Amino acid sequence: MPGKRVAVIHGPNLNLLGRREIGIYGGKTMEQINEEVRREAEKLHVEVEFFQSNSEGGLVDYIHSCLGRVDGIVINAGAYTHYSVALRDAISGVKIPTVEVHISNIYKREPFRHVSLIAPVCVGQVCGFGSHSYVLGLRALMEERIEPWLP
Amino acid sequence: MVISGPNLNLLGTRKVSIYGEGSLEDIHEGLRKRAAELGVEVECFQFNSEGAIIDKLQEATGKYAGVIINAGALAHYSYALRSAIGSMLVPCVEVFISNVHAREEFRHKSVIAPVCVGVIGGFGKKSYILALEALVNLGNP
Repeated sequence: MPGKRVAVIHGPNLNLLGRREIGIYGGKTMEQINEEVRREAEKLHVEVEFFQSNSEGGLVDYIHSCLGRVDGIVINAGAYTHYSVALRDAISGVKIPTVEVHISNIYKREPFRHVSLIAPVCVGQVCGFGSHSYVLGLRALMEERIEPWLP
Repeated sequence: MVISGPNLNLLGTRKVSIYGEGSLEDIHEGLRKRAAELGVEVECFQFNSEGAIIDKLQEATGKYAGVIINAGALAHYSYALRSAIGSMLVPCVEVFISNVHAREEFRHKSVIAPVCVGVIGGFGKKSYILALEALVNLGNP
């Protein structure tokens, strides 16, 4: 995917990173994470753009705006991961290869976080590695065969 | 330590549409190459038997810096494997070749995920490489 454009999307409350529940999410701010991703993107020769919204509709609008403009998406949908059918439909609708990332290991946490509605429409999932989950998510998108692994 | 579970020895010959072409040995070769670049060593194993995986995992503490495991179907029901991983004093990363969430319902739950540092799945054979990068990076938060 060198030369291509990737959108990195942060969902609700991720603007508070570094200030909120540091034991779970770590001490880095969203801007520091974006900087790490930007550095990795430079190494991989891809362009990145960043977006954060607390609003489900804002995220849906933005994903739609990626159509025809962006070649891959890395998304941490925050809590919307676990219940937003609209977000899932937006991702499957635009058909842009999307990687789901989480800072924490969602499977170690409350049962309601064990289910991801967006996972089935994403290429794959990376979770549990702190800010490095985003970097790995970007690297995962560089896989030559970007297509969902369906049954 | 890299461990692949049941039926992964058949990679490249079985359900190629799901698991892709290329053998497990190709994955191991890719891991060794990436490990050399990262300045670490990897040892790769495959077992079809649950007990053999547990025996191996019990060797991990003190001998290896971390474990990467693709438990195959065992991921979804082996509480013995979960206990073995939970008893280790070294970090474990769970990997899947396919996106398990896009497949049958019984594959959506991993009983080992809660005792692993994290999970990487869906990226074909590259899932293993990303897991190695994740493990190495745990040292520099």
